[in-house]
Amino acid sequence: MHAEAASPLAAEHGSWLHFLYALGVPRWVDEAVLDCWLLILVIAALTYLATRRLTLLPKSAQNLLELVVEQLEGFTVQTMGPEGRTFAPFIGTLFLYIFLMNVFGLIPGFLSPTANLNTTVALALCVMVSTQYHGIRTKGLWGYLKHLWGEPRFLGPLMLLIHLIEEFLARPLSLAIRLFGNIFGEDTVIAQLGGMVVLTALVGVFSFLSLGLFTFGIQVLIIVFALFTGFVQALIFATLAAVYVAGAIEEH
Amino acid sequence: MSYLTALVLVVGFGVPLATLMASLAQSRVGAAAVEGIARQPEAAGRLQLAMIIALAFIESLVIYALLIFFILMGRLPNTADVLSKVTGH
Repeated sequence: MHAEAASPLAAEHGSWLHFLYALGVPRWVDEAVLDCWLLILVIAALTYLATRRLTLLPKSAQNLLELVVEQLEGFTVQTMGPEGRTFAPFIGTLFLYIFLMNVFGLIPGFLSPTANLNTTVALALCVMVSTQYHGIRTKGLWGYLKHLWGEPRFLGPLMLLIHLIEEFLARPLSLAIRLFGNIFGEDTVIAQLGGMVVLTALVGVFSFLSLGLFTFGIQVLIIVFALFTGFVQALIFATLAAVYVAGAIEEH
Repeated sequence: MSYLTALVLVVGFGVPLATLMASLAQSRVGAAAVEGIARQPEAAGRLQLAMIIALAFIESLVIYALLIFFILMGRLPNTADVLSKVTGH
């Protein structure tokens, strides 16, 4: 029974936003991008509604947002030191956006944009460009190259080469592939379990009632676990981004 | 050993080998974190955060192996085709 596509990496299922292609969105806009747009719209609408009348003693929605912002800023300062407060919007946005993207795919009918390698590579490129920009901005180009040259002066060329490969290749790739692998793997497991439940139903009623419901129970548990994994992976990405930027702007 | 036999062996053994070493490493991280919390319960929050981050680092190495598994699994032939070729009908 040909239940899967040729390669699981190519296996895609549509989302509820597929109708937008019929409405005229060009085909080269990936479905992940459409889900990103929807998520951005939802975040913007929710934050606008919550901050319409800012009061000094906040109530429900504003209270929640203030809690989130406070936690993110504290987390950024904790990782980067007190001069990292200016980076709190960037790191906080990374964490919130990636967490919501990871969890978005668990809603029935939607796709996680981070289950697509393009999204995660784009995010990793953002972090890389930000690191280089802030490093060169704080130290100047020559100062930044000296920073990459390292402390034992005679090991300079080797350390420069290693650091260049690390900054431009190893770090962005590992960031992107870590996030993509975790979220895509989790979503694939959930999808395969769902496929197995359908298979047991196609075999017969008794098979569905015994094996199918058990597999369905496991799938529900794994969906709950995927919430936790999405949160942890967003935390990892944001922490690493903060550490990289802090490493680029640090003074010895 | 034929190409497909080697491919199937690699597809089967890739992730488990990675998981072997990763589980050893993660157990060390967990043990160190729990010991630290036992010594200083008031630092439990920071220790837990550091433990989660270290665990995610190690797990990401297994995820790289899982990606290779997905790529290679796409290159495996269809079971029905292989069986029909082997048995002749």
